[in-house]
Amino acid sequence: MSGTVAAVLLAVLAGAGAVLAVGWPLLRREDTERRRALEEEAAAVDRAGALDEAIERSLASIREIEADHRAGHLSDEDHAELDRLERARAAVLIRRRDESRG
Amino acid sequence: MSLFGRAVLLLAFALAIYAIVAALGSRRPGRRAWMASAERAVHAVTALTTLAIGGMWVALLTDDFSLRNVAEYTSSTLGAQYKFTALWAGQAGSLLLWMWMFSVFASATLLLNRRRNRELMPVVVATLMVIAVFFLTLLSFVTSPFETLAAVPQEGRGLNPQLQNAYMQIHPPVLYVGYVGLAIPFAFAIAALVTRRLDTAWITSVRRWTIFSWLFLGAGILLGAKWAYETLGWGGYWAWDPVENAAFMPWLVATAFLHSVMVQERRGMLKVWNMVLVVLTFTLCLFGTFLTRSGIVESVHAFGESTLGPFFLGFIVLVAAVSFGLIISRLDDLRSQHSLESYVSREAIFLFNNLLLLALAFAVFWGTMFPVLTEVVRGERIVVGQGFYNQVAAPIGIALLVLTGIGPLIAWRKASPAQLRRRFTAPLLATGVAAVPLFVLTDLSEQPVAGFTILAGVFVAACIAGEFWRGTGVRHAAGGVSWPGALFSMIARNRRRYGGYLVHIGVVVLFIGFAGSKGFTTEADRQVARGETVEVAGYAFTNLGVARHETEHVTTTEVRVAVRRDGDRVATLAPGIQQFAVEDVRGSQVAIHSTPRRDLYLVATRIEPSGAALLSIYVNPLVMWIWIAGFIITGGGLVAAWPARALPRAARAAEPVAGTARARA
Repeated sequence: MSGTVAAVLLAVLAGAGAVLAVGWPLLRREDTERRRALEEEAAAVDRAGALDEAIERSLASIREIEADHRAGHLSDEDHAELDRLERARAAVLIRRRDESRG
Repeated sequence: MSLFGRAVLLLAFALAIYAIVAALGSRRPGRRAWMASAERAVHAVTALTTLAIGGMWVALLTDDFSLRNVAEYTSSTLGAQYKFTALWAGQAGSLLLWMWMFSVFASATLLLNRRRNRELMPVVVATLMVIAVFFLTLLSFVTSPFETLAAVPQEGRGLNPQLQNAYMQIHPPVLYVGYVGLAIPFAFAIAALVTRRLDTAWITSVRRWTIFSWLFLGAGILLGAKWAYETLGWGGYWAWDPVENAAFMPWLVATAFLHSVMVQERRGMLKVWNMVLVVLTFTLCLFGTFLTRSGIVESVHAFGESTLGPFFLGFIVLVAAVSFGLIISRLDDLRSQHSLESYVSREAIFLFNNLLLLALAFAVFWGTMFPVLTEVVRGERIVVGQGFYNQVAAPIGIALLVLTGIGPLIAWRKASPAQLRRRFTAPLLATGVAAVPLFVLTDLSEQPVAGFTILAGVFVAACIAGEFWRGTGVRHAAGGVSWPGALFSMIARNRRRYGGYLVHIGVVVLFIGFAGSKGFTTEADRQVARGETVEVAGYAFTNLGVARHETEHVTTTEVRVAVRRDGDRVATLAPGIQQFAVEDVRGSQVAIHSTPRRDLYLVATRIEPSGAALLSIYVNPLVMWIWIAGFIITGGGLVAAWPARALPRAARAAEPVAGTARARA
């Protein structure tokens, strides 16, 4: 009997804790201005993060193209074209990041 | 414990449903707090599932026989380690393990994407929680691990002796990590389709998850093979059993995806194909779980008859219908940026490799489902034998092995005849040189399939060695570093490429192990009286006498066998017959002596009171290399998946980006 009570208590505690934790972000009172500011800030951080990742990917691609060319897996013409395209992409991304950071 | 377990699983079920609603609701503007709430709901599902599995482990370790799952798979005398692993001996317990691992993966995905993929994450969360709701429905309403017995027995039935094995302790969890891990790429693919963010960002986000899950699935398959080899006593490790096939199919398709994804990243091609592969991989993971649990196929690995089949089938149909519907509705956005320019190009080789992998997956699917189909259509179950699988798998396997060598050496877009000559002259010469002694001095000519496999292996090894040689040479010449330094820095800077090559070396070793063990096995059944010696494949086996051991769980009668070759002692082996207390089960104690050249594998089929024994003797060449290959493939996969250290900004500027700086100017 005491085991059943303990089990019920534990389950209720776990449930109450979970519901409180899940509901907390919705219950917090934030004025509209502040919430909007926070959302804009978070969106800006997301955009910057996505840009950083895109730049990393682009730089990695340039290095791979270079490695492929050195190993003879890309002809000179293909290397020149792929390298030019990827560098142009990286340059655009870097410029966009620099502009967004003022 | 039953009440507690059921309550936390029900709570998890309710929170998973809430997470779906909140995550999808958060996609509307001004509802960022909903996503935060949905994320917390996912973590709460993980916490509650952890409480449930923790409760089940407490029940198993404390012999709470009021629970069916404890009473049916443990006994009070069972060792603690087996009580712990008895969790996955039964249907409901293993589903709980599946769900717990899945929830941990879902939480990890959220933590790793806290500041990434904001647009994708709501749909990722919703997709993952739909899967969670399915499994929590089964655990809460169909097959609860916390089901109680009307009458509590004094003692449990004990664990199936075949599961009381170190490999069986680790094989299922490793396999499950592979299965549940492949749900993450699937969730990202669905998110990319729903949000129309179909660039390469989602692929980059799931690449490591896919490699990680693929590695675990492969390791799980090999561990299952090792368990079968050491426990079942039929001399082999792979029998094309339906449940083995069930894990092999998603592994094949995931392998195809890992290759074709490179074509999308580099050339912007195969976008639809990659989506199809991700969906197919996850659907096959569900199908594998369905096969193991539905009772529609007979297998040593399967759980018995159950009521789960229709639920799994329904969910598989739902997943496939929604996913392929989404793909069809996004066909315009998934159009390739380039087309195939030449059949002699790296992307073409990847495409051939993909087609072969899928052809093999389809053949395995057909063979696995054939008995079920014939039963439905003709009313009688016609089982497909190993011969069918071997006939199909051997040529496809050899072709795939050859492509493993060719692919990395061929240029993207189009390879010129001069390039092909430069790249392939040395590997072809090496293969030709190796062929002469291999076919003249060994028995390879009598086994053409094994012979071609080994020659293909030599060719691929030469191709990969050439790649390492050239790459190291370039680095050595450019940087003024030592040769070993150049090799390590080259691998460190191109982990994905050279990790992949290491995996390919592992595949070569694996195929050589297959060729040896499938092509050159010697098998003999011999009645050996006490003191008598018999000869098999150049080895002399002498019966030294019988011994008997008895423990609480098992009585073993074993025959000691001295093995000699050319008069020199090789080993003393002790194959035996085991009689387990649990359900009066009889088993074999397999005796194996392993060396890199061959395994001596002995099974005692009958031991007479006089001390005479009927022995099944197998001499299996090169089996050890299959297990070694597993380590090489895992190592290579880890190298490929290991995150690259972010370069400092200054170093980045000194890299090829110098040219990019010019472009900016």
